[in-house]
Amino acid sequence: MNTRSLTRRRFLLTTGAVASGLIVGCSTSHAKSVGYAPVVGAFEPNSFIQITSDNQVIFYLPSSEMGQGILDGLSTLIAEELRVSPELIEVRHASLHEDYKNPEMKMQATGGSNATRAQFLPIRQAAADAAAAIRNAAAQQLNQPVDKLLLADGQVLADGQRYAYSEFVALAAALPVPENSPLRSPQQFDQIGRERPRLDALAKSTGTAIFGIDAEVENLYRAVVVRAPVVGAAVQRFDGTAALQQAGVVDVIELRHGVAVVADSYWRARKAAESIEVNWTQTELAGWSSDSLYQEFVETLNDASEKGLECCLEGEGDKLLDQAEHRVSADYFAPYLAHATMEPLNCTVEIDGDSCAVYVGTQSVQASAGAAVYYGDFDADKVKMHPAFLGGGFGRRGLGDDVAEAVEIARKTGRNIQVVWSREDDMRNDFYRPPALVRMQAGVSDQGIIETWSVRRVGPNIMDHVLDQWVDVLAPDYLNKGFVDWLSKFGYSVFKRFKADPSAGDGIYNDYDTPNKEVRHIPRDPGLRTGFWRAVGNSSNAFFKECFIDELAQRAGIDELAFRLANLQNNPRLKNATQLVAEKAGWGKPLAAGHFHGLAVHSSFGSAVAQIAEVSVEGDKIIVHRVTAAIDCGTVVNPGIVRDAVEGGIIYGLTAALYGEITLKEGVVEQSNFHNYPMLRMAETPAVDVHIVASQEHPEGVGEPGLPPLAPAVANAVFKATGQRLRHLPLRLS
Amino acid sequence: MITFQLNNRAVAFDLDPDTPLLWVVRDHFKLKGSKFGCGMGLCGACTMHVNGEALRTCTLPVSAVQGAAITTIEGLGTPNNMHPLQQAWVEHSVPQCGYCQSGQLMSASALLSKNPNPSDDEIHAAMDGNICRCGTYGKIKAAIKSSAAAMRSGALAESAVQSFDPANRGVES
Repeated sequence: MNTRSLTRRRFLLTTGAVASGLIVGCSTSHAKSVGYAPVVGAFEPNSFIQITSDNQVIFYLPSSEMGQGILDGLSTLIAEELRVSPELIEVRHASLHEDYKNPEMKMQATGGSNATRAQFLPIRQAAADAAAAIRNAAAQQLNQPVDKLLLADGQVLADGQRYAYSEFVALAAALPVPENSPLRSPQQFDQIGRERPRLDALAKSTGTAIFGIDAEVENLYRAVVVRAPVVGAAVQRFDGTAALQQAGVVDVIELRHGVAVVADSYWRARKAAESIEVNWTQTELAGWSSDSLYQEFVETLNDASEKGLECCLEGEGDKLLDQAEHRVSADYFAPYLAHATMEPLNCTVEIDGDSCAVYVGTQSVQASAGAAVYYGDFDADKVKMHPAFLGGGFGRRGLGDDVAEAVEIARKTGRNIQVVWSREDDMRNDFYRPPALVRMQAGVSDQGIIETWSVRRVGPNIMDHVLDQWVDVLAPDYLNKGFVDWLSKFGYSVFKRFKADPSAGDGIYNDYDTPNKEVRHIPRDPGLRTGFWRAVGNSSNAFFKECFIDELAQRAGIDELAFRLANLQNNPRLKNATQLVAEKAGWGKPLAAGHFHGLAVHSSFGSAVAQIAEVSVEGDKIIVHRVTAAIDCGTVVNPGIVRDAVEGGIIYGLTAALYGEITLKEGVVEQSNFHNYPMLRMAETPAVDVHIVASQEHPEGVGEPGLPPLAPAVANAVFKATGQRLRHLPLRLS
Repeated sequence: MITFQLNNRAVAFDLDPDTPLLWVVRDHFKLKGSKFGCGMGLCGACTMHVNGEALRTCTLPVSAVQGAAITTIEGLGTPNNMHPLQQAWVEHSVPQCGYCQSGQLMSASALLSKNPNPSDDEIHAAMDGNICRCGTYGKIKAAIKSSAAAMRSGALAESAVQSFDPANRGVES
């Protein structure tokens, strides 16, 4: 017996997933069901693939599908190696299991644009081994030599006859599963690299795709949570008498962070919640407003005694700044940002004595399960996870706060509970993209070579808040809770005092050849929760870096494209993408009257992206007409999805560049809904052309790398159009 | 008691009449294709047809649709019998996360039912109330245009006709 079967058996015994194969979708939609369910008579070579006796191939998708196209991408890899049509694979969201951990992250989570890169080989290997097993079984059953058998379209071809895979699943299940079977070569690929409509388009165009919010179980009550206006405050006292008297309301209970109203319908819970008065505890955050925070950043940046934590130190650091022919210095700022996923956070919990089932769209099934264990006080083997499609993720989903709250309510009331956050809840209780005030300095030679690169930045960390969430929900359950809590606070202090938060330096120094570099980060945090926002540190650092590069080029009197190429000698992928985008957009060629080009380039998540924005200005309004992009992301699995992801990053980035700003007033987030946190709409959307660099290198990220160059490309074009160098986001002309 | 037609089926609802139509359809009648996004009529995820008009149902009390004909994404077409716009959505690979797409399709289909050949400006105006965070606007526009062209040419006319079978007509609550 091979080890995979042992793993499988342990899985079935321990996760309680056996009876969970709840079918919640339409038969023609992809990812129609949740959890893992063994199928009688099926061949189950590993945790990813089942081939049933009626010739259905089922793929358990280990990554979360939030729009980035990983369902399509990984299904394509299965199709390539298993020799089946991707359209005929039934995809199910994988439940919690060791085998579904992301090999790079070592946890079951989706983020960092690495799902294709990290799983390109293991998923293909799982399918190649399954294919080899079918072939071996067919050879034995048909009494043919293995090398005379061909696999194609879910069939074994032998002696001019065709046999469905299903004819061999019984024997395959009884034989050892081969390991390390040879993978197909890039020259053989007929699925990888092929452009076709994405597999989940049908379900998502017919309303049949099941998102977390669509979960429905028997005897389901709906809860609405009254939350503190200043995040982090706790309930001092509250009066729920009036709410309890309203029709349909069954419980009003105090939570760690608010008051939950439970009713027989969402609307009744929401109405009753309005009648609840709560006195909240005071927190430090209430002493902060955006203006005072900005002043604090300015004073800190100017305080020479604040040395900051080192993100990067190469060569002579910033010591030689004054020796350069041109010394340039400029301060840049980026604000807090909310994720504003279209699907507000939500979670549904079905409780049955000392066990529970959790229905949620999450970027981490593992953290979500951990939240149920920690906050619901369930044993780990009593929690069943039912992941669903995510109505947008962008880094917001996967910290477990949605699940924590739902399980707490379910546990305290003993009822099946669905919590749907209002848009206001979602916008005011986010883990925000942290703000930063940054002093960029450089020394540049007359020839336009960057000799010294210096960055000094002030702002909140991310890891403090993320660790506070994650240590609690990911710590092994044999650690006691007091210790786990201490550990999460300890993590907080590490990044405050000893080590720079990795996101602070993300992408702010690595692209250009500069012998002397120094990047320092000074943590300053009023206490508003921060987290991973699409492209994380790159989202703001690329703006600082690429606008400043234009400033350097202009100071040296060199064309911005030529300046970049001259300083990208050691970064051939980015240099190549830059040349490609310049050619495709026609850099330096005449544009329509009043239109201007802005260029920005950035490497992140393993990929190199260059963008040129074509912009005009009318009064104080910035109009982006067209964005041309070039990406080198290595091997492409589905070119359409790569283009969509880059375009998606551009549009998400443009909303942030033109409108995105979360502000605080006495600790309260001032924005609440789309009227005061506006989103780009169709009429303002530019034409987007995405060009992909042909490559056979290992695949790299596409979900996030399209975003970082957008804001600086637009700002650089606005400078050309107006002479105004906009150094604060969002971009506002005065 | 409020009665109305939901995807050609007579239905009745006798709970709080101020309940927004969205929640009645999603949680009472269990049609989950229409989505909650903002609760203020600002994002369009909840868009349905009320007597053929695309309306935001997260702010529309169910009492306001007494006697009206409501169509949701489930009534627009099914996976086996898609509306031409849904076919175009699949062919153009429009959805990314997909959450806003039911609302986008309901706004687009209301537009094409009145204007078979909309200009860019007319498309922008009709789709202005629908937000997409994934950035599918460009593809939505392309899919609307190609679908409009196909419908005008009659290539897809047959499946564009919504069937109504009186046998399916019953009262459900």
